[in-house]
Amino acid sequence: MAEILVLVEHRQGEIREITFEMLTFADAFAAENGMKVTALLPGAGVSEMAGRLENACDRLLLMDSPELAACNPEAYLAAIEKAVGEYKPLLTLIGHTAAGMDLAPPLAARLGIPLVTDCLDVSWNEGELEVQRQIYGGKINENLRMKPSERYLVTLRPGSFPVSGPRAGAAEKVTLEPPAWPQFRRRFLEYVEAELADVDITAAEILVSVGRGIGKPENIPLVQEFADAIGATLSCSRPVADKGWLPKSRQVGTSGKTVRPKIYIALGISGAFQHQAGMKNAETIIAVNKDARAPIFNVAHYGIVGDLFQVIPVLKEKFS
Amino acid sequence: MIPSRPLFWHIEPVWLFYVMAATASAVFAYGTLRRLFVWAGGVRNGTPFFSRESMKRVFLDGILGRRMLKEDVAAGMMHLLIFWGFLGLFAGTLLLGIHDYLFRFLDGTVYLVYSIFLETAGMMLLTGLFWALVRRYVQRVPRLERRADDLIVPVWLVLVVLSGFLTEGVRLAIQQPSWEGWSFAGLRVAALFPSSGSLVSFYPVSWWLHAILSLAFIASIPYFKLFHILTAPVHLYVSPCRPVFIPADEKGPEHHYLFHDFIAFDACTRCGRCVEACPATGAGEPFSPRDFLRWARPSPSVFPLALSVPEGERDSCGDSLMWHCTTCGACLEVCPIYISTPDAVRRARAAAVEDGTQVPTLLVDTLEKLYKYNNPWEASKKNRNRWAREMGVTDFTKTKKADGICYFVGCTTSIETRAQGLARAFSRILGHAGIPFGTLGKKEPCCGDIAFRAGEDGLFEEQAEACLDLFSRYGVEEVVTSSPHCFHTFRNEYPAFCRLSGRPPTGISVFHYTQILERLVKTGAIRFKKPLGLTVTYHDPCYLGRHNGVFDAPREVIRSIPGVSLVEMLHHREKSLCCGGGGGRMWQEEFDSDPKMSEVRIREAAATSAQVVITACPLCLIMLEDARKTSGLEDSLRVMDLNEFVAMALDLADENKEEI
Amino acid sequence: MDIVVCVKQVPEVAEAELEVAPDGSSIDTEDLVEDINEWDNYAVEEAIRLKEAHGGSVTVVTLGDEEAEDVLRRALAMGADAAVLIDEEGFEGSDAFGIAGGLYGVLKDMSCDLVLTGAQASDDGWGQVGLILAERLGLPFASLAVDIRIDGDTVFVNRELESNTQEKVALPLPALITIQTGINDPRYVSIMGIRKVRKIEIRETDREELGLSEKEVGFGGSGLASRTLSLPSAGAGAEILTGNLNEICEKTAQIIRERGGVA
Repeated sequence: MAEILVLVEHRQGEIREITFEMLTFADAFAAENGMKVTALLPGAGVSEMAGRLENACDRLLLMDSPELAACNPEAYLAAIEKAVGEYKPLLTLIGHTAAGMDLAPPLAARLGIPLVTDCLDVSWNEGELEVQRQIYGGKINENLRMKPSERYLVTLRPGSFPVSGPRAGAAEKVTLEPPAWPQFRRRFLEYVEAELADVDITAAEILVSVGRGIGKPENIPLVQEFADAIGATLSCSRPVADKGWLPKSRQVGTSGKTVRPKIYIALGISGAFQHQAGMKNAETIIAVNKDARAPIFNVAHYGIVGDLFQVIPVLKEKFS
Repeated sequence: MIPSRPLFWHIEPVWLFYVMAATASAVFAYGTLRRLFVWAGGVRNGTPFFSRESMKRVFLDGILGRRMLKEDVAAGMMHLLIFWGFLGLFAGTLLLGIHDYLFRFLDGTVYLVYSIFLETAGMMLLTGLFWALVRRYVQRVPRLERRADDLIVPVWLVLVVLSGFLTEGVRLAIQQPSWEGWSFAGLRVAALFPSSGSLVSFYPVSWWLHAILSLAFIASIPYFKLFHILTAPVHLYVSPCRPVFIPADEKGPEHHYLFHDFIAFDACTRCGRCVEACPATGAGEPFSPRDFLRWARPSPSVFPLALSVPEGERDSCGDSLMWHCTTCGACLEVCPIYISTPDAVRRARAAAVEDGTQVPTLLVDTLEKLYKYNNPWEASKKNRNRWAREMGVTDFTKTKKADGICYFVGCTTSIETRAQGLARAFSRILGHAGIPFGTLGKKEPCCGDIAFRAGEDGLFEEQAEACLDLFSRYGVEEVVTSSPHCFHTFRNEYPAFCRLSGRPPTGISVFHYTQILERLVKTGAIRFKKPLGLTVTYHDPCYLGRHNGVFDAPREVIRSIPGVSLVEMLHHREKSLCCGGGGGRMWQEEFDSDPKMSEVRIREAAATSAQVVITACPLCLIMLEDARKTSGLEDSLRVMDLNEFVAMALDLADENKEEI
Repeated sequence: MDIVVCVKQVPEVAEAELEVAPDGSSIDTEDLVEDINEWDNYAVEEAIRLKEAHGGSVTVVTLGDEEAEDVLRRALAMGADAAVLIDEEGFEGSDAFGIAGGLYGVLKDMSCDLVLTGAQASDDGWGQVGLILAERLGLPFASLAVDIRIDGDTVFVNRELESNTQEKVALPLPALITIQTGINDPRYVSIMGIRKVRKIEIRETDREELGLSEKEVGFGGSGLASRTLSLPSAGAGAEILTGNLNEICEKTAQIIRERGGVA
């Protein structure tokens, strides 16, 4: 029975979300194609994390070794190489994350197996692996068919797959002996946290953005409540940041930040060119403005011509 | 006895005086030569050496102080007193030298006239100096600085004059010549001293004191802004008073400044008139033309001068100075010696652009878009003539020949949504008047103005070549532009570019659309019937008005519309306040202050109680439109381009625009 | 120190409307402007800064057609000392391994203390070539660098992780680092600057000269069998929502739920 190997990504004792996304996907994939799902958990002191993966796969490989404490790619490469050598999976899945991008290409080069990165979907059609990706910054969809191979390495884009609950049946736990470690050249030093002073709006999935139409800073809490209700982050256009009603780190535009959230809700923003440049590639843009001819409506997907102070309270109610 | 004055009367040793004079001369010469070496390092500006206009300028503005009297009669008068007083005394000393060493002529009546002449000059100088000190330290005129040398130098000169009168007074008290009445001032001084023996021994003291003070003063001239005594007239002579385009070449940054720029840096007396006129300073930005000139002036040596910023300080505070300037030219308009800061700024930018690391990020993006897509707005050429296609405007690149006037739309008007209204309105007006015209379609490049103002001369040349190629390919003879910037660049920079690069002359006559509208009104091609019942004010764009002298054409058009009353803003015509969009500032928000220049201007417009601000430039249109919203004037004031206003008056309304 | 930067010329698509060829094999690039890949531009700037700080030389290498020479000239104008162009003929249909193979062919004979590449390219977005190249050259590596500091024989790299966190690592030189955007402010390259370097000779080479076979690079060496492109579902211009206030808000809430994954 063919195997799917999923690399468990974790940091500082926490299993990262991408792992569960991959496992859910692998589960469905395995069910469809009659395969087994094996998760590989390399690390130092993995027993607690292992506990959380008990109902997530068919087999759980554990490799516990101090060399695997930080995500040192040289150690991980050796570890994954060993796992792949022993279990010979057809498909190995790694998250397309900062850690994954550091691992997948050299791993593929070392193992001599084909690699596709940043995939949105993978399917197996009559012995052929097919993947879906995007190119040109999301403007074009790409469907790739791979040549026949014994092994494939695929990295999956985070957020492409939902996470399902635990499956029935506990995983078979196997402890894997660490390989003979090579001389490590790279040294991990430390993690550096950014100042927690303010939020990174470029990381937000939903942004509620205010412009001059907000009138005065006293009106911002009203919008903040709405943003909280839908789990969104507050951002703004330049005039609001200039006046100091919101910190400059919240500013969207050419002299602020460029954002690509799933949803961008522009409230009272006219949509001047400089602002548009910072948000027009958001996946869904909803604009609220009193002026039907505001330029924001040229770039928005959905528009509401109206007073944001009337719209927001009613809209907020829909989410309570 | 014949009236005259003996040389070195009771003065010994005379050779000491000659040694001191020689030393003073040497110090003076050294200082002057140092600056001359700096000047020699500048690029030649190609203007002829002998020019009648330059001579006229030196006479009218230098000798007669025309520019100084303009706008500030008190300052002008004060300076004239000092100027003529000093010149008089200088001439007097010169004449005395000729009299003593070449041929005697200061005898008798000549001497008496000479005496009065000197007394008058001395009194004028003294009066002027006191007036100057009062203006600076008592009245505390805001534009005048109060640094150490601003106090020391005038006081020193006062001491020189006083010591001169003192010496004269003592001499008269001793000699008591019968003609002493002709030295009226000295006489007053003499009256203070009772004639006595000790006076005779005091006289040399006073004489040497005066000699030392005077010689020290002369020696110090090249080291302080006193140098303007020599450099100001030189700059008056060499200033081209118009933009000078020197093609960029392979030489290094130190050759970016033209030699008259270096003279300008040395000629600036920091009078501060430019500071008063500059819109950026007025809006509170950390910039003034005076600051820039000080930053730009190269310091040739270690000598700590009050006038130049020491090398170490230069880079930290000054590097961003050059990017604030909108090149509006308000400073050039008021500078008594025609220093063109916008031109010097442009050349400083050229050096920075070539180096590449000091260019503000937003400008980098803008210039790169310009290079790749021929416009500074967006990374695409597709939208360039979308408005024209929608209206069915003739595209000369498709008809292959320019049958009619070529409407050079310009980047901003073609692409920016608000500014497109200008183009649509103009097209409708031309159509209504039956004037055949066309555009260059999607192929229209940028005129290159933005590149030129930013100092990217290479990019300017590329755009210019592209434009000229298209003009010649389709036989374009008449060009009308939306933007005064394009108008200015075609009219002033292109001919210079053609000349210096060996190309044939441009072959086009360039108009701004306001001139075309004026022509249409005058010939009756468009007639206004409906009275509008509106009070309007007109904002003179810098590049239309101040730089190119087109003030009346748009006003004539406005006045010819019935029921429209035109109110002028506080700063209009040559004194128009820049909207803040020129010189590349449109794309560089990071230098904005609070309030922005555009907000200052829109408030001035609101103060006229006009209902509409009319402007004639797409950049002004966007800047003022934006400012109107940020200043909360949306309900009381409208901003319209002149084309839109005229189209409204002719009932050629645009479906896209809101009605009044 | 000798730095080598691998760069790629890509079409600029940020504001373009792309069209796919009828057979789905490629996009129409005719109207598109080609320029250096944004990530690579940051890499070139970083290399120049390191050279300015530590001395040495910077060489830029690219694999492309003759237009790719523009990208090399740009890098030379920024301050690079030498440039190499690998002719793309023979590399058509390459995957990342093929491209890395071509670059390896050139780099293996060069003295490199540091190799920099952009973390990914804006066209294909693989993010693979850099580290595959590292593996082939046997160099220690780090990807997604947002800060680089060299101290003697060691280079300290801050890697960008998610959620505002960075990871600091140390690598011995020689090493290969892939660069993330935002690491620096790339300098402006003026037309004059490009004109000044037009006389510098660019070394040209090709697959044959590098001794690479059709099985290693090009379609033959690629793991991909076929590629089909398509446009995502379109949506142009704002759809103005109609109805009374409640209806509009209802529709909006629905959009937010669906598109944002909000409960």
